Amino acid sequence: MASFATATRLSARLVSRRVAQDAATRGFRTSATSPAAQNFMMPALSPTMTEGNIATWKVKEGDSFSAGDVLLEIETDKASMDVEAQDDGVVMKIMQGDGTKSIQVGTRIGVLAEPGDNLSELEIPADEKPAQTDTKKDEPAQKEEAKETAPEKQASGQKQPEKSGEKAPPQKYPLYPSVEHLVKEHKLDESSISEMTPTGPGGRLLKGDVLAYLGSVSSKRPEEIMARFVHNSHLDLSNIKVAAPKEAPKAAKAPLEAPIPEDLLVSLPVSLAAVIEVQKKIEATLGTFMPLSTFIARATEVANDELPLPSNYKPTANELFNQILGLDKVGPKGSQGNYLPQISALPTPTLSGVAPKPKTKVDIIDFLAGPAKKSANKAKKAALRPSFSTGNNIFSLSVPKAEEKRAKVFLQRVKAVLEAEPGRLVL
Amino acid sequence: MLSSRLIPRTAVRSALRSQSSLPTVLSPVSRWRRGYASQAEEKDLVIIGGGVAGYVAAIKAGQEGLKVTCIEKRGMLGGTCLNVGCIPSKSLLNNSHLYHQILHDTKNRGIEVGDVKLNLQAMMKAKDTSVTGLTKGIEFLFKKNGVEYIKGTGAFASEHEVKVALNDGGETSVIGKNILIATGSESTPFPGLEFDEKRVVTSTGALSLEKVPEKMIVIGGGIIGLEMGSVWSRLGAKVTVVEFLDQIGGPGMDNEIAKQTLKLLKKQGMEFKLGTKVVSGDNSGETVKLEVDSAKGGKSETLDADVVLVAIGRRPYTAGLGLENVGLEVDERGRVVIDSEYRTKASHIRCIGDCTFGPMLAHKAEEEAVAAVEYIKKGYGHVNYGVIPSVMYTHPEVAWVGQSEQDLKKDNIPYKIGTFPFSANSRAKTNLDTEGMVKMIADPETDRLLGCHIIGPNAGEMIAEATLALEYGASTEDIARTCHAHPTLAEAFKEAAMATYSKAIHY
Ligand SMILES: Cc1cc2nc3c(=O)[nH]c(=O)nc-3n(C[C@H](O)[C@H](O)[C@H](O)COP(=O)(O)OP(=O)(O)OC[C@H]3O[C@@H](n4cnc5c(N)ncnc54)[C@H](O)[C@@H]3O)c2cc1C
Repeated sequence: MASFATATRLSARLVSRRVAQDAATRGFRTSATSPAAQNFMMPALSPTMTEGNIATWKVKEGDSFSAGDVLLEIETDKASMDVEAQDDGVVMKIMQGDGTKSIQVGTRIGVLAEPGDNLSELEIPADEKPAQTDTKKDEPAQKEEAKETAPEKQASGQKQPEKSGEKAPPQKYPLYPSVEHLVKEHKLDESSISEMTPTGPGGRLLKGDVLAYLGSVSSKRPEEIMARFVHNSHLDLSNIKVAAPKEAPKAAKAPLEAPIPEDLLVSLPVSLAAVIEVQKKIEATLGTFMPLSTFIARATEVANDELPLPSNYKPTANELFNQILGLDKVGPKGSQGNYLPQISALPTPTLSGVAPKPKTKVDIIDFLAGPAKKSANKAKKAALRPSFSTGNNIFSLSVPKAEEKRAKVFLQRVKAVLEAEPGRLVL
Repeated sequence: MLSSRLIPRTAVRSALRSQSSLPTVLSPVSRWRRGYASQAEEKDLVIIGGGVAGYVAAIKAGQEGLKVTCIEKRGMLGGTCLNVGCIPSKSLLNNSHLYHQILHDTKNRGIEVGDVKLNLQAMMKAKDTSVTGLTKGIEFLFKKNGVEYIKGTGAFASEHEVKVALNDGGETSVIGKNILIATGSESTPFPGLEFDEKRVVTSTGALSLEKVPEKMIVIGGGIIGLEMGSVWSRLGAKVTVVEFLDQIGGPGMDNEIAKQTLKLLKKQGMEFKLGTKVVSGDNSGETVKLEVDSAKGGKSETLDADVVLVAIGRRPYTAGLGLENVGLEVDERGRVVIDSEYRTKASHIRCIGDCTFGPMLAHKAEEEAVAAVEYIKKGYGHVNYGVIPSVMYTHPEVAWVGQSEQDLKKDNIPYKIGTFPFSANSRAKTNLDTEGMVKMIADPETDRLLGCHIIGPNAGEMIAEATLALEYGASTEDIARTCHAHPTLAEAFKEAAMATYSKAIHY
């Protein structure tokens, strides 16, 4: 958490929660019918936060604010956080100014009022909690304070098993039916209720607590049960047996170091006669010249679609997952290739009537045309400038052994498209 | 293979591109480069997995104002639960129950029906409609809460970077201040029996069989096995459940309730072989053959069926996630190791849901999702693991929360029990659906509710009240003193509470 907290600024919408709690603690004093100002206490922005500094107030006394407005910025040793208002209101008084350090959680730092309240008519409510900075020397008083803030932490959901020895805080909510019943039945009064030790969630008083107080059950029983509930409420993360780490990080690097497996040359003769036929036709009818390279590029693209997988193909996590789901039976069986064939003229003179004049025609083909190379070449080596003939050419690919079939299919497709229906490539 | 359809499409595609320069058209690099999205801004939270855990966290994070991305590879949000789990199974359970009831349980209610026919295809379609509606709903909620949704498979490239192989081809990568692993679980395979999802199936295959098998064997008598077994049994299959233990229902179910469940399911026509171990399987023949042994040793026999459902549990799924690239640990059962705030070894990477510890339940994943986002945003979150309900949606339903009798016995904790049968409940009586009971377990001294176990109509809804009671530390007297409407099944719940702390009125 710490690394994140320092790296970023948290923002917390705590104000209204604090106010609500506060209102609840003070019971009727802040009921909606009698407008009153409310103490605004130093919020706990994390369960471990005990004190914080006020960096800056973003509002002034007398300012109105709306839900979501940042009221102030608080710093702890771990992070600095914006405190946002969740309800609308007015700042009545700021008690602890900018830069005040080490303010204990729960200490009053300001007073807020409802929107529209006439501040001049409002009374500043009493501060139930002595400011910690003043009572620093007074150790027992500080302990009191810690106790008083505890129920507030609970209200935000935290279990406080260690609190079990304490007496009941005033019960803020209706008593449980069974508790109410026992209280009436035994004619117990408020003060006896405060004598009881609550063991329910959030400091709630349970039937067992009353029974223990009355002495009709063992005084330890409620706490024993509470301990079991608290224990069960946590994910059991004890005795985790960590699996031996996968050697994958090494395995991931290994292929890089491994010698590149020898490549295989796959080739196929392809006649470009049909292409040239179409090319001429287009030039004659449309007046545009389609370079051969365009035909080849398109044929390549078509042929690369959904090629059979290499024999050493490792399915992706995705495909493995689909296998588990049984979806692999419906999905495509192949994968997109990215082959680029090497083209070189057949060593024998071409039979096609068109005499190639590669160097005289300014064509993109010239770019491709280079000294004939029949040895195995890596398709991706940019330096290669294979030559070709407008008649019969050798289209070849240099591929790993595992891709032999894949490469063959690719070349057969290129051949089929270029020889059979090149016209469709430029449709 | 080279379908003619491809040509015009490709032609159009390339016609859009520049034709003037050959290198760009032909370069193999260009294809790759197109796939890479430009490096995105850093997100507050990147979530891997759009199942219940992931999608709830994403929505919650969006609501909290975090910049959030959710990566899901299935092509649909909602994960196992919505696509191949809770939701489709409940659709089939509900509709097969209706079908079964119309076939067998109408005359005594004064309803005469003519020809009743099963249209399995239409039943499956109804299921798919429910699923699609719900997954689309989540996509909508993503939009609504500003969640970026990437369809693809995520893997750790580094501690803050997740590489995504996009479903549509190509790759992208996202950077997150925080990362949440929510990759879920998969069916545990049975060694030696390979899934083909037609004859040897996981729950996923069992959710979409093309026809009702004549004979079906379910390996594993846990919740998923019993639910799917019920579906096909109601639709006409002869179902045999083979379970290694002497009890059905899995680990959490109260022994007494499990026994009653077994009796009721048997009465419905399902067969059970308990304490029986499947030794090997063979699916080379016309039917799938299973060699089974008595678990205690001794007599073995061969069973055969048209379809075998392997439902022996689920295991965390983290394959291909690259946990090892960032040095994250899993335990011996494959669960991602976390602390009580869901943090892995790297404190900004958290993990929730089926792929880590705790029960594999959708609502548990959902609770954790909210808590994890709250830890990130507010520094504090909470899930009460002692109060997570479980429901089996057979008929009658079985539901429980809190501790079972055997849990308490094992730990030598004293307890008292109160029960109330539905046969004494007026609503159950009028519904002619009276099987089952409510069982409450409480502390004998303080009366605090410790657990509640229900078998009966609507148990799955009724358990919510017990869950609330446990969450608030209620005593059974508190429940009993709370008014329940008449006539409702919930009155049985109240009467069980009365029976626990004092006496039931109607029994
Ligand atoms: C047949 C069946 C019935 C069930 N019925 C119930 C029920 O009635 N009640 C109940 O509470 N629970 C039920 N469950 C359990 C419930 O489905 C799970 O507990 C729940 O889905 C867990 O949610 P999750 O988000 O942790 O994981 P999942 O739902 O499994 O979601 C994980 C998601 O992450 C995705 N993913 C994985 N790896 C990656 C990656 N590398 N990149 C991108 N995405 C990835 C997966 O595609 C998946 O969609 C049932 C399960 C099954 C199988």
